[in-house]
Amino acid sequence: MDAWQITAFTVGAACLATVVMLPPGLLIAWLLARGSFRGRILLDTAVSLPLVMPPVATGLVLLALVAPRGPIGRLLAPAGIEIVFTWKAVVLAMAVMGLPLLVRTVRAGIEQVDRRYEAAAATLGAGPLRVFLTITLPLARPAVLAGAVLGFARALGEFGATIMIAGSIPGSTRTLAVAIYSFAETGRDREAGVLVGISAAIAFVALAASNWISTRGASRA
Amino acid sequence: MILRAAAVCLALALAGPRAPDPLTVSAAISLTDSLEAVARAYAAAGGDSVRFNFAGSNVLARQIVNGAPADVFISADEAQMDVAERAGAIDRGTRVPLLGNRLAAITRKDGVSVRNVGDLVRGDVRRIALGDPSAVPAGVYARSYLQAAGVWAQVEAKIVPVANVRAALTVVENGSADVALVYETDAALSTGAVTAFVATGPAAPRIVYPAAIVAGSRQREAAKRFLSFLTGSQATPIFRRFGFTTFAATR
Repeated sequence: MDAWQITAFTVGAACLATVVMLPPGLLIAWLLARGSFRGRILLDTAVSLPLVMPPVATGLVLLALVAPRGPIGRLLAPAGIEIVFTWKAVVLAMAVMGLPLLVRTVRAGIEQVDRRYEAAAATLGAGPLRVFLTITLPLARPAVLAGAVLGFARALGEFGATIMIAGSIPGSTRTLAVAIYSFAETGRDREAGVLVGISAAIAFVALAASNWISTRGASRA
Repeated sequence: MILRAAAVCLALALAGPRAPDPLTVSAAISLTDSLEAVARAYAAAGGDSVRFNFAGSNVLARQIVNGAPADVFISADEAQMDVAERAGAIDRGTRVPLLGNRLAAITRKDGVSVRNVGDLVRGDVRRIALGDPSAVPAGVYARSYLQAAGVWAQVEAKIVPVANVRAALTVVENGSADVALVYETDAALSTGAVTAFVATGPAAPRIVYPAAIVAGSRQREAAKRFLSFLTGSQATPIFRRFGFTTFAATR
């Protein structure tokens, strides 16, 4: 077992997943908090689905979409892009599972922002994008950071969707959660124990960071 | 700052070794140790590079049916291989029975003494753990064994369904159950429990791990070479060492 490789891969993939989920996450959170359009409830439900569905079911849906014969996989195949059984599948599963937590947290943060600041900026000629980037986003910063940490933490522990679309390939797609399952399942309790310890340590650091961010945010406000 | 962090993360994410185009073998998780040993022997014999995807056979079958890019599928039971075959996801002509396993009853060293399936009906055997018969293959085998042995009606009330074979071992080791019915290969892994008896005779289930080449494989020749190595004279002693029974070479 290469605990260092598994840990570095998992943390790296979770970081990347957080970066990947931020742009769509911020957009969806803003649409849900400020938008009034048909299908708002539909969007809200769709993005929250991975939170309530069994992760394996989410993985099955993703697998059907991105497998070489799936509707998305078919489009990517001519470009030589393969998702299933690669690190990209790990990042995709993590991002999809982390997105609802990011969106919900950021949405609550945006709803807290006083609309009068946004209206003032708009009367001074700022377009919606500029209002969002210069007024809404900076004011909702603590929520964005908290949401990103939550999404990252969810990504770190992702199991069900990951094993479905990325598999459990040692040295290639095996994350901490999947490796712990594999070792526990094959009776290698000592190795599983080491990885559980590492996971607990990372979770401790992430939660401490999130507490530090929120207390700092609170003392500033 | 965020950009730099992202760049570091990307480098970390790509740090995992990625061989150019190895053979991908989707195999039942219970075969992890034995297949890794066989792959080492294959590499030593100059074979192609192989990477494994280990998970529950039902997960593997779903992946393959959905077109996941695997080359060889080794299932822990015929049922999941049938699922793949019915969907046209494996090459029917390449399907072979690769390995066999047996059911074993385990007890704690200082626990109840049982010597055959009939002893399970005794009053001092209060709880019998097995994989959930509605989902876990080992549980399905165990139930059909108890039914065929004619004791199911008497022991049904004592059955404790658990999530998997490992959990069945654990509940016996920690005293939550008196007996567990598990695979012989898993019984050998246990440190705190001993094998009380192995299921034999006409009531014993026929436990087969079938292997086949995946229909969409882009490396059919390499897959064929690996499959024939698995059934050949170098691999069979390794599988036997891990407690599996093997079938005569089918080449």
